[in-house]
Amino acid sequence: MLGITISDLLYRRRQFLIATLGAGLVFAMTLLLAGLTAGFAAEIDQTVSGFHADVWVVKTGSAGRIASLAPMPEGVALQVAREPGVRRATPVVILPQTASVNGGLQQVNVVGAPVGSAPARQPLASGTEVSGPGQVVVDARLGVGAGATIAISGRPFTVVGVTQDRTLLGGTPNVYTELRDAQAVAFQGAPIISAVVVTGVPTSIPPGLAVFTTTGIERASLGQMATAVQSINNSKLFMWAIAAVIVASLVYVTALERTRDFAVLKALGASSGKLYGGLAFQAVLVALIAALIAVVLAQFMTGVFKQPVDFPASAFVVLPLSAVAVGLLSSLIALRRAVSADPAKAFAG
Amino acid sequence: MGELEVRDLTVEFDSGGYKVRPLDKLCLDADDGELVVLLGPSGCGKTTLLSCLSGLLKPTDGTIRFQGIDVVGLAGAELGAYRRKTVGVVFQAFNLLASLSARQNVMVPMTLAGVGRREATERALALLERVALSERVTHRPNQMSGGQQQRVAIARALVHDPPLVVADEPTAHLDHIQVEGILMLLRELAAPGRMVIVSTHDDRITHIADRVIDLAPQSPNGNRADVDVELADGQVLFEQGDRGDLVYAVVAGAVEIYRERFDGSEEILTCVGVGNYFGEIGPMLNLPRSASARARGATRLTAMSVRSFRKRFPMTVADARKPSV
Repeated sequence: MLGITISDLLYRRRQFLIATLGAGLVFAMTLLLAGLTAGFAAEIDQTVSGFHADVWVVKTGSAGRIASLAPMPEGVALQVAREPGVRRATPVVILPQTASVNGGLQQVNVVGAPVGSAPARQPLASGTEVSGPGQVVVDARLGVGAGATIAISGRPFTVVGVTQDRTLLGGTPNVYTELRDAQAVAFQGAPIISAVVVTGVPTSIPPGLAVFTTTGIERASLGQMATAVQSINNSKLFMWAIAAVIVASLVYVTALERTRDFAVLKALGASSGKLYGGLAFQAVLVALIAALIAVVLAQFMTGVFKQPVDFPASAFVVLPLSAVAVGLLSSLIALRRAVSADPAKAFAG
Repeated sequence: MGELEVRDLTVEFDSGGYKVRPLDKLCLDADDGELVVLLGPSGCGKTTLLSCLSGLLKPTDGTIRFQGIDVVGLAGAELGAYRRKTVGVVFQAFNLLASLSARQNVMVPMTLAGVGRREATERALALLERVALSERVTHRPNQMSGGQQQRVAIARALVHDPPLVVADEPTAHLDHIQVEGILMLLRELAAPGRMVIVSTHDDRITHIADRVIDLAPQSPNGNRADVDVELADGQVLFEQGDRGDLVYAVVAGAVEIYRERFDGSEEILTCVGVGNYFGEIGPMLNLPRSASARARGATRLTAMSVRSFRKRFPMTVADARKPSV
């Protein structure tokens, strides 16, 4: 029966090719959406871990979202430094700002930390670290290289280095600068900070402050993207449904065209189960080939998105499994055709 | 009694809400090795009979015994085995799978029966050689003539060397050169160990047949004299599906013409009164009655042959009042 099924598939190869490409495109979109949601988590993880903190101290009541931490006096850093268990307490500023880049405006996340401190040291793709006022290290997504000039809140900065994979809020590039410069653009020079990045683990902290682990900061920050993630996940469901409809349409039309064949096969001894098995095999095969096409297409389509796209390994396991499920579900629509085929109809002229 | 015994075979089905009976208490016998021809026009029940013989259609009533097997009583795996091993079917429209080559089409029944690929291939090639198609084994149906396709269909029907081969209008789509080849092949296949039953409306086949069964026999009453028929109130003269060779004129009383619906209800079509006639279409066209006739009150009729009817009512069929039965 498998041979008959494959021969039929080859005989109708144009139909199958069109449906496979259609389903493949939809699967590719699904894969990209999975990559986008994973990208949100990945960028937060990369940025937060780039601060090299054991724990974060923030103002009580702050949700712990890295891009919207409640401001507090810089003096808090000294108080935290004196707490038992703390080996180093580094004040940092993290605040979204608008930057003027190459004549246009771009959203950036300004990250300010003392020169030479752990949070200021990011892996560089080119250039050098920030060594004084008026200098910035930028993420490559900003689209400028070392030597370029950008302006934040009207203050000019020279790009001295370029880092990679340092973004927040769905691909918004980070701009690392000296703490005072960050305070100048974010708080008009006031000694205000967003958080204290701590090396070591304090056994107590001054009143009015709260401690977050790195994981806690990451989880809270990802929560900021919850609505976007939910929307994307809903879109993924639609995509699966569209793929199922494409495959189901193909299988149903094939079953309609093969009504006479089914009657003949039954008259020659085929069971309903074998006929349905053949249809299900075709549907699953189409869905799996579509999944394979999707994996290739998705690699080329990532460039369309400004947001970071990070394909999780699980997506490459889930996709073929889901494709099999889509194929089986789609073939159910043709089940009745296979079961109800009347072998006596083979006699009709 | 022969190897094949068909007794009182009746098939009824629903056709647009009306009850249709293509086979009504059919009886026939045939022996091993015979080429049996089922003769009759379209709609006389040839294909229905072949469907029953091949185990693809359950009759409404009656029995079929082939080599001692109660075919009507078969079900499930036994019926499947009968279809696969005992009967080979040659369909009217060839019914080859368009996606498969000639060899693959012949292999299909063997594949479905679980025969190994190598064995099935060898058998298919041998059968295609037998039907003189060795040169066409890799051709698809659309690359072959009608006669060649029919040969592939015959080869397919022979894969399990069945003792019964049924062929439905095997020459219907062929030109005369192809017809000759197919008929000779069927004649050759009917030999000790195998019975071949062929349905056709082409009476040329009867010349090579061992047995001819006419499913729509011509009227034996072509020259009979008119006779009077008395009916009591409610008495049924004939029923829908009956074969009849007489036309009736109402002399006294009236006759209701009605159709039986498949759900058992009746639909009154008309009531024929004195001076009018009914029942002419069936005998003239050699078709079963399309409706039933029943007396309304005490009724007297004149029953006449078609020839007599045409003399007494010299009008065209198109002139006849409706409905006719």
